[in-house]
Amino acid sequence: MISKKDNVGQPILSISDVAKHYPIREGALQRVVGHVRAVDGVSFDIFPGKTVGLVGESGCGKSTLGKVVAGLTDPTSGSVRYNFNTQLVSISSLEKNKFKNFRRNCQMVFQDSFASLNPRHLVFDIVGRPLKVYKEVSGYDLVEKVVSLLNQVGLGREHLYRYPHQFSGGQRQRISIARALALNPEIIILDEPTSALDVSVQAQILNLLNELQKARNLAYLFVTHDLSVVRHMADSLVVMYLGKIAEAGETQAIFAKPYHPYTKALMDAKPSFDEGQNSKAKGLEGVVPDPARPPQGCRFHTRCSLATDKCGWEVDDVVRWLEDTPGMFESLTAVERKSEFSAVLSFSDESSAANLKQEMRSEKLPASMRKALNKVNINEKNVQIEFEPVEEILLREKDGRHAACIIEPKKVNQEA
Amino acid sequence: MQTWIEELLLENKMNERAFDNLHYDGDTAFRVRIRRFGALLGRLCSNPTTVIGLIIIGLMMAMAIFAPWITEANVPDPYQMPRDWGAVRKPPGTPGFLLGTTNEGGDVFYGVVWGSRTSLQLSLYVVGSTMIIGTIIGSLAGLLGGWVDEFLMRLVDVFLSIPELIFALAIAAVLGPSFTNIIIALSMVIWVKYARIMRAQVLQVKQNEYVEAAKVIGDTKLNIYLKDILPNAVTPVTVQATLDMGNVVLIGATLSFIGLSEAGIAEWGVLVSEGQAGIASGRWWASTFPGMMIFLWALAFNLVGDGLRDALDPRTEGR
Ligand SMILES: Nc1ncnc2c1ncn2[C@@H]1O[C@H](COP(=O)(O)OP(=O)(O)OP(=O)(O)O)[C@@H](O)[C@H]1O
Ligand code: SF4
Ligand SMILES: [Mg+2]
Repeated sequence: MISKKDNVGQPILSISDVAKHYPIREGALQRVVGHVRAVDGVSFDIFPGKTVGLVGESGCGKSTLGKVVAGLTDPTSGSVRYNFNTQLVSISSLEKNKFKNFRRNCQMVFQDSFASLNPRHLVFDIVGRPLKVYKEVSGYDLVEKVVSLLNQVGLGREHLYRYPHQFSGGQRQRISIARALALNPEIIILDEPTSALDVSVQAQILNLLNELQKARNLAYLFVTHDLSVVRHMADSLVVMYLGKIAEAGETQAIFAKPYHPYTKALMDAKPSFDEGQNSKAKGLEGVVPDPARPPQGCRFHTRCSLATDKCGWEVDDVVRWLEDTPGMFESLTAVERKSEFSAVLSFSDESSAANLKQEMRSEKLPASMRKALNKVNINEKNVQIEFEPVEEILLREKDGRHAACIIEPKKVNQEA
Repeated sequence: MQTWIEELLLENKMNERAFDNLHYDGDTAFRVRIRRFGALLGRLCSNPTTVIGLIIIGLMMAMAIFAPWITEANVPDPYQMPRDWGAVRKPPGTPGFLLGTTNEGGDVFYGVVWGSRTSLQLSLYVVGSTMIIGTIIGSLAGLLGGWVDEFLMRLVDVFLSIPELIFALAIAAVLGPSFTNIIIALSMVIWVKYARIMRAQVLQVKQNEYVEAAKVIGDTKLNIYLKDILPNAVTPVTVQATLDMGNVVLIGATLSFIGLSEAGIAEWGVLVSEGQAGIASGRWWASTFPGMMIFLWALAFNLVGDGLRDALDPRTEGR
């Protein structure tokens, strides 16, 4: 989907409409009561020697997508296609031999450098293991090959026979990178490779990754929740929100002028000084909705400061608002839905019902939400509400860029 | 502000020291592994009660191995008590009968010494077989999940709902009195423990990212199990096996005492049973000495098992 002028060549990996839903099971019989839509229809291409940055808040499905792309789990729908001699072939339909070929060429580096290295294996075992699996080299040559790999990531022969716990976080991540390089792959998926590291160490690892990419023409899928990390790493960006692409395009263009309010909010979010792992971005108010029940219309409308009446206001927004309003939620007895946009809310007393009707037209609700409201009827203890139904807001192309927002890019950047 | 910087500095300093101590330059993988094993032994031996347990076990083992040299083997079957009907009810210290004799002229010293062999056999057979069976079944349940897991764990629950001793007793009674049947009965009862421990461990270990990492490099499922899952899952099984080496002898002796073993066999439980009739008349020795052996055996393995648990604690291991 991301087309680039300087990439006349074919993509090495093409992700088309990939979805991954995890079943939610409940009760003694473990019946499936719903699905977590971790990834919900995502498409983009990865080109040789280039980096795609995959960004988004915690829980938006980045790691899940990374695992699907790496062939670790099958997508619920859609396909990941790998470039076999200029032919794009879906990796889930590959025969054994060809999958092995893909497997060798698509490696992964994980976020937690400690958890991703077997604590009982020596560095030599860890870095040499891929070579043993494919019977590349053995004996003395194996040792020399491992040493040369260690040298490439800034470690040396003296580290061969040590256990992972004897290294610092940055060094362990270097070991992970050496293991990923062992089979001379074309693509490496980097799942937050630096987010557990100190800032200074982070820079060293990023430099190392850049050098390796140049030397070996590697393609990276760089997963991160930190936009500033990919700014200088990625050629193109895919910004995800709740399992979907909010915006995609070339990194420089996006940084110069984001087309989606979510990207803008992420960029404006200044990392606080004593930032924890998943500290919440400052420009982003509120919480990420449950991926098992994603919002209608635009998934970002519950938190978007620019939201309009066409953005998908729905019954759930009223219920969420009631939850945050003390006194009102307790008297809510039932929600009878006709659709996502229309429902009858029953209360235990008439005054609460009257109160809701009044509030629905008051300043306490966003103006855009009020505008989207078609009907509020009261009948004793029941309030009927109806919003204007809205289709899902899809990714649209504009000037060779993609964003899933109905308002003009100009407007996104006007508002400070 | 101040404190976290201090903490960071302190941690750095500790890391540096750890690096100095563990400079392995030029070492081979083998030597490093030996050193790691040595460190484990060192941790094990830093606990005095564990050392006491190890000493007792060492003496018992020596006794079992060198039994024919300590007291002459009975012919034709050395596991059968020698009977001297001319020397019944002799007290300890009688020449030729160091620990006295039983009502039926059995040499208590002979029973104590050769009983250590019987006990060692019993515990090795039972613990060895159940550990292997339990590990395989628990691993299958944890790895495959689904209905296999469901079925195996229902089976385990059924077994676990019956108290160990009563269950073993029932099986042994059905099979008929013999030492082999005691081994079978105990094995049938105990494997479930290992299956349950192993399943829980496998479920936990297979979540680790290094398992995922091994999949990414394309290693086979069998290799991932053998190299990544099993070695990281098996620790609690080892501890339980050590504890059971003691417990099995305790339960086995109980079954023998009730009479589910062959009569006249050189086994501590049988001996206690043979001697109990004389206790009321003041002939304490025939029951007391084998009883002490059972107690010491069970105690020693429990001490070592506890020590092993601490020494293998993932929070201290390899640090
Ligand atoms: N194996 C699983 N079973 C069920 N739900 C899962 C599973 N893995 C992930 N999820 C859910 O899918 C959603 C996306 O998870 P994912 O790990 O992909 O997010 P992420 O963007 O990588 O977040 P983070 O930045 O925290 O790593 C989450 O709501 C998570 O709870
Ligand atoms: S469509 Fe655009 S304006 Fe509307 S909620 Fe989504 S991001 Fe905000
Ligand atoms: Mg993640």
